[in-house]
Amino acid sequence: MSGGQSNTPTEEELRAMSTEQAMIAGADADDVHVVHRRARFPVPGTKAEKRAERTVAGLFVLAALAGVAFIVAFIVVPYKYKTPSHSQNFRFYTPILGGLLGIMLAALGIGAILWAKWLMPEEELVQERHDEVQPGEPEEQIMTGATLLSGVNDTGLPRRSLLVRTLGLAGGAVATVPLVALVGALLKKPGKILFHTLYRPDSKYPNGIPIVYSDGRRVSPNDIEAGGLATVFPGVPGGVKDASSPTLLIRLRPGQGTLVKARKGQSSWGWEDYLAFSKICTHAGCPASLYEQQTTRLLCPCHQSQFEVLKDAKPVFGPATRSLPKLKLAVEVVDGVQYFVAPQDFQEPIGPGFWERG
Amino acid sequence: MSDEFDDDELGFGPAVSATGVDPEPTPRKAPKKKRPAARAPRGWRRRLASGLMLVTVLAGVAGTYTLFASSSGANDTRTSKEDVEAGRQLFNTSCITCHGANLQGVKDRGPSLIGVGSASVYFQVSTGRMPAAGQSANEPRKSAKFDEQQIDQLGAYIESLGNGPQIPQGDLRVDDSQLAEGGELFRLNCASCHGTTGKGAPLSAGKTAPGLRSATDKQIYAAMLSGPENMPVFGDNQLTPEQKKSILTYVQTLEASKDPGGNGLDRIGPVSEGIVIWVLGIGVLMIVILWIGAKT
Amino acid sequence: MTTTEAPSRRAAKPRTIAGKSALWVDERFRVAGPLRKQLNKVFPDHWSFMMGEIALYSFIILILTGTYLSFFFDASMGDVIYNGSYTPLKGVEMSRAYASTLNISFDVRGGLVIRQIHHWAALMFVAAMLVHMLRIFFTGAFRKPREVNWLIGLTLLVLGVIEGFVGYSLPDDLLSGTGFRIADSIILSIPVIGTWTAFLVFGGPFPGSLIIGRLYIVHVLLIPGILAALIGAHLAIMVRQKHTDFPGPGKTEHTVVGHRLFPKFAAQATGFFFIVFGMLAALGGLAQINPVWLFGPYNPAQVSSGSQPDWYMGLLDGSTRLFPSWEIRLWGHTVPPLFWPTVVLPGILIGLAAAYPFLEARLTKDRARHNLLQRPRDVPVRTSLGAMACTFCAVLFLSGGNDLIAKAFDISLNAMTWGGRIATLVLPPLAYVITYRLCLGLQRHDREVLEHGVETGIIKRLPTGEFIEVHQPLGPVDDHGHGVLSYAGAAVPKRMNRLGKGRLAHLRGFFYPVKEKPEIAEKLAALEEAEHADAEPGTERQVELSD
Repeated sequence: MSGGQSNTPTEEELRAMSTEQAMIAGADADDVHVVHRRARFPVPGTKAEKRAERTVAGLFVLAALAGVAFIVAFIVVPYKYKTPSHSQNFRFYTPILGGLLGIMLAALGIGAILWAKWLMPEEELVQERHDEVQPGEPEEQIMTGATLLSGVNDTGLPRRSLLVRTLGLAGGAVATVPLVALVGALLKKPGKILFHTLYRPDSKYPNGIPIVYSDGRRVSPNDIEAGGLATVFPGVPGGVKDASSPTLLIRLRPGQGTLVKARKGQSSWGWEDYLAFSKICTHAGCPASLYEQQTTRLLCPCHQSQFEVLKDAKPVFGPATRSLPKLKLAVEVVDGVQYFVAPQDFQEPIGPGFWERG
Repeated sequence: MSDEFDDDELGFGPAVSATGVDPEPTPRKAPKKKRPAARAPRGWRRRLASGLMLVTVLAGVAGTYTLFASSSGANDTRTSKEDVEAGRQLFNTSCITCHGANLQGVKDRGPSLIGVGSASVYFQVSTGRMPAAGQSANEPRKSAKFDEQQIDQLGAYIESLGNGPQIPQGDLRVDDSQLAEGGELFRLNCASCHGTTGKGAPLSAGKTAPGLRSATDKQIYAAMLSGPENMPVFGDNQLTPEQKKSILTYVQTLEASKDPGGNGLDRIGPVSEGIVIWVLGIGVLMIVILWIGAKT
Repeated sequence: MTTTEAPSRRAAKPRTIAGKSALWVDERFRVAGPLRKQLNKVFPDHWSFMMGEIALYSFIILILTGTYLSFFFDASMGDVIYNGSYTPLKGVEMSRAYASTLNISFDVRGGLVIRQIHHWAALMFVAAMLVHMLRIFFTGAFRKPREVNWLIGLTLLVLGVIEGFVGYSLPDDLLSGTGFRIADSIILSIPVIGTWTAFLVFGGPFPGSLIIGRLYIVHVLLIPGILAALIGAHLAIMVRQKHTDFPGPGKTEHTVVGHRLFPKFAAQATGFFFIVFGMLAALGGLAQINPVWLFGPYNPAQVSSGSQPDWYMGLLDGSTRLFPSWEIRLWGHTVPPLFWPTVVLPGILIGLAAAYPFLEARLTKDRARHNLLQRPRDVPVRTSLGAMACTFCAVLFLSGGNDLIAKAFDISLNAMTWGGRIATLVLPPLAYVITYRLCLGLQRHDREVLEHGVETGIIKRLPTGEFIEVHQPLGPVDDHGHGVLSYAGAAVPKRMNRLGKGRLAHLRGFFYPVKEKPEIAEKLAALEEAEHADAEPGTERQVELSD
């Protein structure tokens, strides 16, 4: 029995009661006691009550009107994008729809709340929590405990160690097998993939992988002005889209070339005033291409790592710890025009660090 | 060899010589009128006829040229000597202190301007960056000190002493079919500093890549071409003039397009959206909660 | 009691439709008793208990709008040439995911407003969960017996953040794709298993062609399913254990005081749902969010300056920007600097949060059940620790946007980074000390008002010439005029307008008072007299003190 008190009214008594009294009897049966309950407008016919009711009704009408307006606007207002040389009226479509939807929903919500606040009786009730140990509960605990224990004893598991162990084995298998099937299917061996890019030497290009712009045109040294920067890619199939291959080709300003302090063994990797580095930041993989041509700083916009180009893209500020890998540049002449090629791949993994990087 | 076609008689000597020195002493000009009268009157009618024909032909050519010359308001960088001279005057008043009398630059004050081209001049002066108010990490945009004509004169002067890149004439926009290419190039070359929405960004140690909202077509073109301050230089072989035009058309289209989703929140991105959800969203809802929970 | 009704309604066979339907249901399921028990459930009505509701309603709105979006979104990384209405991208090659997002935004009628509502609701969901969690923390609602609910709630928060990250990455635009790249790098940075895990998740090196499709299933099926189940458990536990409440009149460890589920609480909850929905709908229409068409499709060679993730990931972005360039390189292996701020730090934060209820119980040796809440000022150590944690997180959040702040206020980017590093270490302890002192001060003020009464602001001049301020005591006073009430954990009224009683005939009307008809005004006055006669005498006596 859920009631704390044992004097729940009988069926006849309840049938004789008014609705209010029966409700209170029910509350008592649920251990909820009415402390205070008063209608908002005990005297019928007050202006205040009419006013409250009209306000709530008005809000509901507003909601309905907003809904109708929404449907009309949805169908009628133009919404297709047009370039600025045409009317930009489409910009009103979404705001109108959202605004009307907002009015409709909010009016309904405010109306419901005002109804509860102004028109429903004010009441204060107290409910017993019954969260301490109730009478009868220790008995429940003992009986349930005994049931569980008896059930376990029935299985015989405490005595049958062989079954326990073999069950453990089988259970372990059942748990592990789906995991292995799923994870095993998903697994892909990283191998040496992270150590190469598409600048990997290819016999089809004996002089080196051609270097191209994003539209596939080959890059010529004359293209780039002093103080210029271009994003270039390996000119092999898939080279422009590959995530590890974007490269920065920088042409230093006159006079900056002599200031270059290259990394060990890499001083000959540039070509005249040109330097090429991997564009992928060695911190978290964003393209680090904010190039300040006068201060020769390269800034990555994601976490503000800064690389000094004259020191072979050594990190000088921010969280990055490794220089941007340098790409060795060479030039081949085709039909009398010079074009850049990459005679070898980057000599270290590009991009962010990982465990096996070394 | 005949008398009739004496250069001096017909006044074919140049009005102003290339060196600025008057080739004929002034008294020579005065007898020009008298001489035909002093000589035998038998040739004067022919000379008059020749003179009239000359004037007519010249007027006709001049008129025809004027008709066909582009009058789009674009300033002819094949400017006249007056422009160069006026530019020199302006330079000597406003720029010489930091850039030197021969554009060679002054150490620790201003770089050399030899070979920077009128495009660079146009960018720096029309955005008001130059004349600079003082030395700083980078010069901010401010109201331009010189008007369009003066800027062209300055540009002409700089060109005359070192050539350099120039902004092409005429309309710099392309049509809508090339917008997509401009967008792709913008995102690859420009967005890392200026932002995909053109808002600009800070660079290292106090410098900034400015936002693009106030930039005009010519300024954007000039910036790409001349690589002002720390911006890289995008030569015409790397980004062709057509590509540059498609980029600036894309930028200006973006700036002029209205946001379809309501108020653009300055197109800043998740940071402004986060501020809105906390201040407007949670803030307003907290007020609503306080209202609901309040006892009447 | 105010209403009486004729008893004829209690006839044996119901005659109204409602009655007949109720009988139909009950004949099959026998729910009359349990149903009434639920309808009579009492809910405490403090305003701070409604913040969890915001999260719940946001979740529902996310499900509704998300279902709509799933009818149009194509979670494929296959390439397609865009040919929709948005001219600046016409002819550009992009993934189908991006193209379908553009389609929703520009070519589906009303698609953009639903998409924006969905995204705003996601931001609201996490924000509401955070605010709710802070309320739970600062009022001690996580103590026994509610530790499990705290853990469930923490899991909901973490899952919500992951769900949001995955959700805004689905359109495969340049901004979220950059975030994906960083996520890949984060996974790579994990020692020993990093590369294998990254290759498992992406199906190979970044970006592969599978990730969007995989994350789509995570976003629309796996995580929403887990969220729905956990939310159900969270609410069920709350219903079973009943809601906590602040101490107050009639409120003890064993009672709940408030109003009932039906009809009042249900009406208010429904109304609040519509208000939250309305607010999100208004935001979805009036404030543009995540304009992916401006960012362009994802391309690993491109990036935008000012790239930030959605606000709730800003903590990790900030910690990554601030963490110094410390890398461990030993015996052919590397632990990159990205590992500590993005894997270890959130692990520590979540671990601390999860362990906190148990840590506090052990340190305070408190093993009792608690159904009453504590005002934050009454537990200064916990409140100060919470303030410290909030300050730490706030510095990291702000540092996530340090490039925008640098540009807006013309501060050097380098200075912002260094400032953030120093602030992370210096500001939290400072916040602890300040909060602690504030709590103690508020506690003292409570007790002072209990002892000396509320300051009425009335100055009186005594015949002897001295001026005194009149104080209104809150209860009985002893011989010296000091209040004998002790602090009981409830809010102490400190202003005169908190002591008033609601009146039947209190001022109504917005612009001018409502004047009732004379007969009605008389009846109201009579009722009020009757009620006043019931009230306890002597509660509003004024006592002068010579303060």
